[in-house]
Amino acid sequence: MATADFPLASATGDGGNLRRIALDPLSRVEGHGKVTLLLDDAGQVWQARLHIVEFRGFEKFIQGRPYWEVPVMVQRLCGICPVSHHLAAAKALDHVVGADELPPTAEKLRRLMHAGQILQSHALHFFHLSSPDLLFGFASDAARRNIVGIAAAHPEVARQGVLLRRFGQEIIRLTAGKRVHGTGAVPGGVNRALSRAERADLLAGIEQIIAWSRQAVQLVKRLHAADPELYDHFGTCRSNLLSIVGAGGVLDFYDGRLRARDADGRLLADAVHVRDYAELISEEVKSWSYMKFPFLSAIGPRDGWYKVGPLARVQNCEAIATPLAEAERREFIAHGGGRIVHAPLAYHWARMIEMLHAAEAIEDLLHDDELSGSELRSSGVRHHEGVGVIEAPRGTLIHHYRVGDDDLVTMCNLIVSTTHNNQPMNEAVRRVAQRYLDGQELTEGLLNHIEVAIRCFDPCLSCATHALGRMPLVLELLDASGRLVGRLAGAPDALSSGGGS
Amino acid sequence: MNTPTLLLDGLPVPFSVGQTIMEAATAAGIFIPHLCHHPDFKPQGSCKLCTVKANGRYVSACTMPAKDGMEVENNSPDLNDKRRTLLQMLFVEGNHFCPSCEKSGDCLLQALAYELEMLTAHFPQFYPDRPVDASHPEVLLDFNRCILCELCVRASREVDGKNVFALSGRGIGKHLIVNAESGRLADTGFSLADKAAHVCPVGVILAKRRGFLQPIGCRRYDRQPIGMQFASPPGSGGNGPEH
Amino acid sequence: MNPPVGQRKLRLATTSLAGCFGCHMSLLDIDERLFELLDRVDLDRSPLTDIKHCGPCDIGLIEGGICNAENIHVLREFRQQCKVLIAVGACAINGGLPAQRNHLDLGQCLQEVYLTAPGIVGGRIPDDPELPLPLNQVHPIHEIVRIDYFIPGCPPSGDAIWKFLTDLLDGRTPRLGHPLLHFD
Repeated sequence: MATADFPLASATGDGGNLRRIALDPLSRVEGHGKVTLLLDDAGQVWQARLHIVEFRGFEKFIQGRPYWEVPVMVQRLCGICPVSHHLAAAKALDHVVGADELPPTAEKLRRLMHAGQILQSHALHFFHLSSPDLLFGFASDAARRNIVGIAAAHPEVARQGVLLRRFGQEIIRLTAGKRVHGTGAVPGGVNRALSRAERADLLAGIEQIIAWSRQAVQLVKRLHAADPELYDHFGTCRSNLLSIVGAGGVLDFYDGRLRARDADGRLLADAVHVRDYAELISEEVKSWSYMKFPFLSAIGPRDGWYKVGPLARVQNCEAIATPLAEAERREFIAHGGGRIVHAPLAYHWARMIEMLHAAEAIEDLLHDDELSGSELRSSGVRHHEGVGVIEAPRGTLIHHYRVGDDDLVTMCNLIVSTTHNNQPMNEAVRRVAQRYLDGQELTEGLLNHIEVAIRCFDPCLSCATHALGRMPLVLELLDASGRLVGRLAGAPDALSSGGGS
Repeated sequence: MNTPTLLLDGLPVPFSVGQTIMEAATAAGIFIPHLCHHPDFKPQGSCKLCTVKANGRYVSACTMPAKDGMEVENNSPDLNDKRRTLLQMLFVEGNHFCPSCEKSGDCLLQALAYELEMLTAHFPQFYPDRPVDASHPEVLLDFNRCILCELCVRASREVDGKNVFALSGRGIGKHLIVNAESGRLADTGFSLADKAAHVCPVGVILAKRRGFLQPIGCRRYDRQPIGMQFASPPGSGGNGPEH
Repeated sequence: MNPPVGQRKLRLATTSLAGCFGCHMSLLDIDERLFELLDRVDLDRSPLTDIKHCGPCDIGLIEGGICNAENIHVLREFRQQCKVLIAVGACAINGGLPAQRNHLDLGQCLQEVYLTAPGIVGGRIPDDPELPLPLNQVHPIHEIVRIDYFIPGCPPSGDAIWKFLTDLLDGRTPRLGHPLLHFD
């Protein structure tokens, strides 16, 4: 099959008539996207591409706006991980207002808000969007393959998913003022603390949340154990890994330094300060997607692409700071048997380990009286530039701004999590297309395999369209002449999760 | 002698001679929607939000003197429909992006839209191009949100004695300008201590670097809708658009 | 709509055009009431299901404004299929924050993002036929089709959406007051 980089020219050269199939819009993902496939008369797949089809232009219209507006504005990139954008922007602007160190109350409140975000987003992705594939089967009845079907067949699983998400959203509401698109973080700190009563209310529910998170990890492990062949090999593609890693090499969603490993786990870069991100990665543009293709500059676009998100983070760190999640991480690493796990379906496993960690971290933070402190902001010598990097639910999220003396933004560059995973998602789609679709009579169930592969990455197509719109995901099938033969349109509205992610 | 009294939606409202309908209603804790009216300034009756029916005729409550025995219709579906339409036109003429506006929750235009249950701006959006003026070290001017109420014009002229602002142009071309050769706020004598820096009912004249410090839930109109703030007894803190 | 109690379940479709999915998140923010809602309505096309095209529906919820040609097709499909069409959230109602690009030149926006942004390799403006054409401006959906109801907010809260939908399902005129009615 043609690769992402050398696709159609060779395919049309000798392919004769290629059929085009489109999955448009992708469903049960967050945001709009489509996948197109080109097949020859024998049903062999010549090309498979994930397109991001929308453009919203945030980077452009943020220019000329006052910097304090930015954290509130940019979170509107994504309704699923708005907190990650909100905080990444606030972190970048902390530098601009000279807040080199935040008061402990502010930093802890932001960490709590972000842990709430990880919890709700991971729960949403696993229970509401992906669990139907995993519990019913990839090619199961499409009419039942959704959260309604889960509620009927596994009511307890559905209920736990809804309540886990609710808990994360409540953390966000109490720290940001609203569940979606709040205002809690401001450059240099936060605008409110948590009262003791609010903390006590949340603490009353946390034990149950941790217990359900543990059950979720067990559920994913059972799925892996029941069909190792599928879970280890479905769409598997080796690649480099990238994430930020906290002090001491621990998993940290909120802050740290950039670390990259190669596909065998060898360190390619470590302790890279986030302000130097531009030296570490570059982005390639392709004609067929509004989503750019980032890669490690030192390696180049062909081999320098990498995975971000739970699968990268859990294997990039040396430890997780909370005991239950750390035990699960060790078991996950043991499953790899000394090798890096690259299987997309293992994203779900890593994701549930992270959800458990978020729940444990929330409990630890809620016991901390500094959450109710009164010193909310700091400031110092002004700077003209700031970079904020955070680990959003879907992976590394980079916000970079320049601000003039008049307080207006003059430059904005955003690299969102889903964009980092652009090439891995395309590779996974190609592998699944080749393995399951080649030469087959294409059914809805077979085509859903493509979407299952994409869902592993929990793409936030909403985030990914920040540049000038949104990207819909579509899967299309072309015949050898490039004629559209079939088009599996996903609802252009898949839930896009976002940000950053 | 008897205190002069008018009937406001059937309720007797006493007033003193010389008061406008607006002043009489405000003193009685009755809310008449308004944008360009401010108790500290001479009324100019330009926004027409305060239109009421006095003895069967449409008049501006902020300019019309109260008269003994006058029958005034205020909170009626007919008048509120007209007021909502005026608000809708204001919303489409400017760029009112409430979600990222730091005035959201404290904005009179927004509070009135809530009060009058405006769910959509209905008319085609203008999306005008109005660059901000960030030249002043302490104050940002975001013309995108200007509703031409002239409160800043009046405050700067009448209270601050500086005459920093003016309206220029006519009809749809009318817009707020800064009285300086360069047109920039930095080149005037404007100061954050000026009265004009604190009268804008929407998010045009803003103290810099303070946006979003007030948490959601604690903003002025988060607590109570504007109508109820007026209805509270005088002195309890609920009054007028000024902050 | 006056759904006689005990009659067939109503069908509900949802989609996001040029939005961020925040309104869909708010729909999920009705929390456990989601199950109550699903007892009363069947989901048709929605990001939550694998139905890719809308069938005949009673209620359609639209999040997001119109930013490209494809948005218009989807919106028209919804209008054709849904008896009651509801614009949910700021983007659907007035274009929302993406409309802040409306006074900018689209070509220049694209150039900056794909040609001159920092760290770009092989800069080019994506132009594949698979990509729907972006519109010069972002538009509210009522400028394209007739809309029956509006639920403002960015996003409207889960409680606001719940109040609105249950009013509608119970045959009442939907109404939002303080504090459910907000624009931010």
